[in-house]
Amino acid sequence: MTNSLNDIRHAKSMIFIGSNAAEAHPVAMQHILHAREVNNAPLIVVDPRFTKLAAKATDYVRIRPGTDAAFMMGLINVIIENGWQDKEFIRTRVAGFPEMAAVAKQYTPGAVEEITGIPAAETVRIAKLLADNRPTSLTWCMGGTQHHIGSSITRTFCILQLVLGNMGKSGGGTNIFRGHDNVQGATDMCVLSHSLPAYYGLKDGSWKHWCRVWDVDYEWIKSRFKAKKWMNSKGFTLSRWYEGVIQEDKIEQYTPIKALIQWGCGANSNSMFHKVRKAYDKLDLIVLIDPFPTMLAAAADKDNIYLLPSASQYETSGSVTSTSRQIQWRDKVVDPVHGSRDDYQIMEELVKRFGFADKFYKNIKKTPEDITLELGRGSLTIGYNGQTPERIKRQMANWHTFDIDTLQARGGPCDGEYFGLPWPCWTTEHPGTPILYDISKPVAKGGLPFRNRFGLEHTYSMSGRTENQLAAKGVANPGSQVMGGYPEFKDVVPGTNWKTDLSQKTIKVALSRGMAPFGNARARCVVWNFPDQVPIHREPLHSPRPDLIKKYPTYEDQPNQYRVFTRFKSEQNPELVKNYPYVLTTGRMVEHMGAGAETRSNKYLAELKPDMYAEINPRLANDLGIRDGEMVWIESPEGGRIKVRAKLTERVDNKTIFLPFHFAGFFMGTSLRENYPEGLVPYALGEPGNIVTNYGYDIITQIQATKDGLCRVNKA
Amino acid sequence: MARVKFLCDVERCIDCNGCVVACKEGNQVPVGINRRRVVTINEGRPGEKSISVACMHCADAPCIAVCPVDAIYQRDDGIVLVNKKICIGCGYCFMACPFGAPQFPGDRVFGARGAMDKCTFCAGGPVKTFSEEERRLYGQNRIAEGKVPLCAAMCATKALMAGDADIIADIYRKRVFRRGSGAGAWGWDRAYRGK
Repeated sequence: MTNSLNDIRHAKSMIFIGSNAAEAHPVAMQHILHAREVNNAPLIVVDPRFTKLAAKATDYVRIRPGTDAAFMMGLINVIIENGWQDKEFIRTRVAGFPEMAAVAKQYTPGAVEEITGIPAAETVRIAKLLADNRPTSLTWCMGGTQHHIGSSITRTFCILQLVLGNMGKSGGGTNIFRGHDNVQGATDMCVLSHSLPAYYGLKDGSWKHWCRVWDVDYEWIKSRFKAKKWMNSKGFTLSRWYEGVIQEDKIEQYTPIKALIQWGCGANSNSMFHKVRKAYDKLDLIVLIDPFPTMLAAAADKDNIYLLPSASQYETSGSVTSTSRQIQWRDKVVDPVHGSRDDYQIMEELVKRFGFADKFYKNIKKTPEDITLELGRGSLTIGYNGQTPERIKRQMANWHTFDIDTLQARGGPCDGEYFGLPWPCWTTEHPGTPILYDISKPVAKGGLPFRNRFGLEHTYSMSGRTENQLAAKGVANPGSQVMGGYPEFKDVVPGTNWKTDLSQKTIKVALSRGMAPFGNARARCVVWNFPDQVPIHREPLHSPRPDLIKKYPTYEDQPNQYRVFTRFKSEQNPELVKNYPYVLTTGRMVEHMGAGAETRSNKYLAELKPDMYAEINPRLANDLGIRDGEMVWIESPEGGRIKVRAKLTERVDNKTIFLPFHFAGFFMGTSLRENYPEGLVPYALGEPGNIVTNYGYDIITQIQATKDGLCRVNKA
Repeated sequence: MARVKFLCDVERCIDCNGCVVACKEGNQVPVGINRRRVVTINEGRPGEKSISVACMHCADAPCIAVCPVDAIYQRDDGIVLVNKKICIGCGYCFMACPFGAPQFPGDRVFGARGAMDKCTFCAGGPVKTFSEEERRLYGQNRIAEGKVPLCAAMCATKALMAGDADIIADIYRKRVFRRGSGAGAWGWDRAYRGK
């Protein structure tokens, strides 16, 4: 999120695409409604469903699932055709614009209508609305990412904001809402298979950097791996880990996965959950660490499974990072109850038994303060080093001194700081960076240019043109000693750069010169290291439009994507729609959270939403002879099937079925109630929507494509 | 004396049910008893609106007028409360109430109704303030603590307001004024299409 939730109050227009904030982020709505009411800002909602957010919109645009990139490129094309782009911003701070514009040209309003179902005039009207009401705050969520072209779709959102000149501005930005308060923190710590904490990647230099931070011997870390090459190769992802067990697709690893620890992870948020369940029964060992028994506890039939009850957020303390990159301190309210232990204690017990506690806790004497300090010391890429526990706690004690509009403290002990010291917070004197890439402020006061990460110049393969990747002359933050683009800082301390200099001298030198440690560059419209250098539309793997598959086909199959063969082209079958004629999309309801283990165990939330259901348009239901409240079978091409209640509603159109994904405790028509530990059965049980979500993964990230599959529906 | 009121701003209410759960959790209301509900009209269609409804603590409250045993009474600040020790569960108040506020426990044999339960404006009831009995029969007494009702305190979008009638009316008036006629005025989208 480049800006903050509060900063949306300054937007002159807002566009939400693949986000249902009213249900998924209800607390953020106060700022969205503020902008709508006080600034009279149009609130544009683009979604296959008429969501509760759409109910609050000034402009609702219904889009066919999985076609977001086409709509965005269509908007960009209309903006450029009419000369509404921010020419000065593009000239000085954007790279690859002409190459991108040449691709966008193909997405005429007519072509967009053909792909997305959005009337041509509507695309033109929305483009004008955005051009007339700047800055626009753009928000997407999982509706934008969970597609096989999710990485392209998100890039089109960013490019739209670059073209309109809405980046680095209050009221603008790309504002991806994260869920609860530490989703951003977990991301920053890279609880992922392709990177060490703080986006350092898996290269030797990255390992050596973190070994220096942890004060452990690199050779010792290396010795923990079967062979060195596994240290540097991306692991299995959350989306496809189970293939490492069941191996229905070929895996590229010396051994299948034998044990699973799920720690605070709702099992039924995995797509094709019926295949995930197969994996449970093949594993040698399963450990589940959670305050509530998740679907894993009920779905695994084997004996060798351990449930470790962990404490809730109210029974522990530590730093957490919000969606706005703000770090806050969470205090313990009560000691852990019901024999549970907090996550630190569980980790400590595990580490002790593994026998490397001396190395693991070298820098950590006081939990959790020393953990915050250690991770901050190493996470220089994103400037986590300025947020010390003392500073965070001081802000917590002085909430009232911060302004709701600017998030800046006025007077008091935190005078001038931004709330949560939003990263990058380069030094222990830095106020935090409330808006990324904002060159109107000095870097030391929270300003920031675009990062120089991809060299000084590049020759585009598509045009043969060579372009300087640094920002244009005259463009830099106030007080910068170089008025124009400059590369990242390195060799201030010989052999290091701003990311790896643990003395942090490099960062301090950069700031003292009024400059950003990571340089001042242009934002790229062309990403030459991606399969689609400029994002384009590709039909969903399971498309309801065989005619469009020919025109907008998917990628080639990937033999080793995160250690597993991943099908693209061979999976895109134009005949599939004949047997699975309806588009299946999933999402959230406000009453339940994630995979629902916690909220379905709350009697009041369960009372409000006790039942799993499928949203079906009344017209389609009547054609299929299904009445409101009747049970239906939803079936996926992969053999998943769920028996759920039909909820007739015009939220969806008559080609689309919507499922919430929060339910668990049933499996393809059978109740698993008996499998839960005694006394811990959730109040609300239901079929996991993810049993019928389809095969399909993003080409770059391998995120599961849960938003644009196919299914069939029959009366039960 | 100042009078308290509820006001739900339908332009702000997002149907999140936060008020409902706050009320239930905070007052330990049994499942099946709904002191507050969120009602949605035109669900899934343009014009969808939601409103949070509970006892409105009416002036000249019809429930008080019809109660045969005078179990319901009104405080000087306008809050309408029931004395559960007097209530006979006849259900007349439920018939009289235009908002469906009175609730009855449904777990008695032969379908008999227990004492009526409804929103107390988080003001407890006619027993000793802050006593265990008050908490058990009526829930929290936040008014005596100088706090607004939980539902309104919890509302993320500040759609639901509770408090001094003059003050909340003033807040609402300012909101309507700020929104102006451009923000969702009936017919504008069709007539002017943003021009």
